[in-house]
Amino acid sequence: MKNFLKTVLTNRPGWLKVSLVCAVFISCGLIQSFRAKNAEPYVLQYPANFGSRFVIPEGNPITKEGIYLGRLLFYEKALSANNNISCESCHQQKLAFTDGKAFSTGTDGSLTARNSMSLANLLWVRNFFWDGRSPGLEDQAKFPLTDPHEMGQPLSESARKLNNTTLYPPLFAKAFCSSVITEDQILKALSQFERTLISAGSNYDRYLAGNYQPTAQQFRGMQLFESGPDPKSGIRGANCGHCHGGVKTFKELFHNNGLDSVATDIGREQFTGQSTDRARFRVPTLRNIMLTAPYMHDGRFSTIEQVLDHYNAHIQQSPTLSAFLQDISNDPGGKNLALTKDEKADLTAFLGMLTDSLFTTNPAFSNPHPVLNP
Amino acid sequence: MSKTKFSKQSIAASLLLLLCAAFSSFAQNTATLSISGEVTTPLELKSADLASFKQVSHKVKDRDGKEHEFSGVALIEILEKAGVTTGAKLRGENLAKYLLISASDGYEVLYSLAEIDPDFTDQVILLATTKDGQPLANGEGPFRIITPNDKKPARWIREVRSIKVAFAK
Ligand code: HEC
Ligand code: HEC
Repeated sequence: MKNFLKTVLTNRPGWLKVSLVCAVFISCGLIQSFRAKNAEPYVLQYPANFGSRFVIPEGNPITKEGIYLGRLLFYEKALSANNNISCESCHQQKLAFTDGKAFSTGTDGSLTARNSMSLANLLWVRNFFWDGRSPGLEDQAKFPLTDPHEMGQPLSESARKLNNTTLYPPLFAKAFCSSVITEDQILKALSQFERTLISAGSNYDRYLAGNYQPTAQQFRGMQLFESGPDPKSGIRGANCGHCHGGVKTFKELFHNNGLDSVATDIGREQFTGQSTDRARFRVPTLRNIMLTAPYMHDGRFSTIEQVLDHYNAHIQQSPTLSAFLQDISNDPGGKNLALTKDEKADLTAFLGMLTDSLFTTNPAFSNPHPVLNP
Repeated sequence: MSKTKFSKQSIAASLLLLLCAAFSSFAQNTATLSISGEVTTPLELKSADLASFKQVSHKVKDRDGKEHEFSGVALIEILEKAGVTTGAKLRGENLAKYLLISASDGYEVLYSLAEIDPDFTDQVILLATTKDGQPLANGEGPFRIITPNDKKPARWIREVRSIKVAFAK
């Protein structure tokens, strides 16, 4: 102890360093408690029937300042290696945050390995990506930011570039307690913005709330969507709801929906190492599905009609094909769904009820940067 | 000198090979069931590990409307092996414990501890491994829960991959 004191006192520069660090620590603590008063907490709005089975990480409470910053970053091209793309390039609001392409083009002109995903109701997602490999939004954002086929820039470089702007340092200082922009804060701000991307204003939501009367065709489509076929009892169905059902039209499940007998993309198996997971992919939300073509993890179908034809008559057998797509038919003893042309049109009409134009035109989600060359 | 170097390399190479072999056999997959959470002994079980437990079977009607004989182990025995608070210990705050059972497709169902404990119920909930004498098929096995008194088989969860014991908070 004596020796320790002696070194502290004689080794001036070291002592100075320690006290400086302490000072910074203390003042940041002060600012942090100050921030609680300064940064305004944001209350997420969503219908009660969506339920609240989600977790917001303790270290990243949602604030108005954080959301605005995240929105700026979502549309920030400086986050890509060649300053040429932002998250928006592959996630456009008018397409429910998809890009209309089978595969997307990254900062270096190369293509992504999978189809861009819609960013709606991410608040309720627990395992991100087509294969569910990422457990949270803060973690997820690292992939597009650094992947060479996407934005291709190390996080440290992104932080350095933002630190050198005039726009960002004061905004980060306001949202997080720090004068230096860190990698973590970039991920946190993006996640805060993404958690607010809630789609709950479709005709289907209005119908569930008792404020919309579906057309006869939409209603028949809804019945088909939700029912499993039972030819013995005369019940016709498409059984979609088994995987895509519920008020959010999203259940977090992983299935092989029979696209291929031999898969080129092994899907969830790559992540879990279990051969029983071969070609299983996350069941995606059907919210705004009419806007998010092309469909499936590889964008192989360009229309909803092709998707319905797939489920109706072209399910491919393989050892991991979902049990829920086997031996179900509207014909007694039939081998495929055997929906009629009219029934497929009914289903399409129902899927149209899931389009939420309030979501795709919400000014709170649009590009906040002044557009210089419109 | 160079000789030892060579053998070191070959050892490294063979270790690598071994590792690869281990890894690929993992990929080949003998699915395991993990029991974790509020347990004294977390378990990682393979179907073969269940052979040492007392075998139980139930004849029940499945989703297909047909009767099948499911065999396996009483779920309570697995919980006891993992040191879950069952029997005399299932009282007080322990009554607020539940099991979250997850399947490999992400499906999840919940049971309270008391629903499974023989001091509370005569129903024997089964962790089944065979159906009509055959190992459970892909998409159903290797482990499936059978709860005979549930009228709707929605909690007869297939492809069970993990059982987590937790306190309701
Ligand atoms: C070059 C195109 C591209 C860019 C740029 C891009 N993404 Fe993506 N995004 C994709 C693709 C492709 C996927 C699906 C990848 C997969 O599953 O492997 C995806 C998936 C996601 C998901 C997962 C959604 C879900 O439901 O699991 C989120 C969240 C996401 N992106 C957010 C972002 C954010 C935030 C940015 C900007 C930091 C961004 N993306 C930039 C193409 C892109
Ligand atoms: C066994 C579960 C299951 C059933 C039943 C099911 N789906 Fe799917 N669906 C999936 C999975 C898994 C995917 C993603 C597959 C992929 O990309 O590899 C998917 C993808 C889709 C997509 C593409 C979504 C996108 O963003 O690209 C549409 C559209 C779709 N399903 C509609 C339907 C309809 C309509 C029905 C009823 C006829 C149905 N599904 C029945 C599991 C299912």
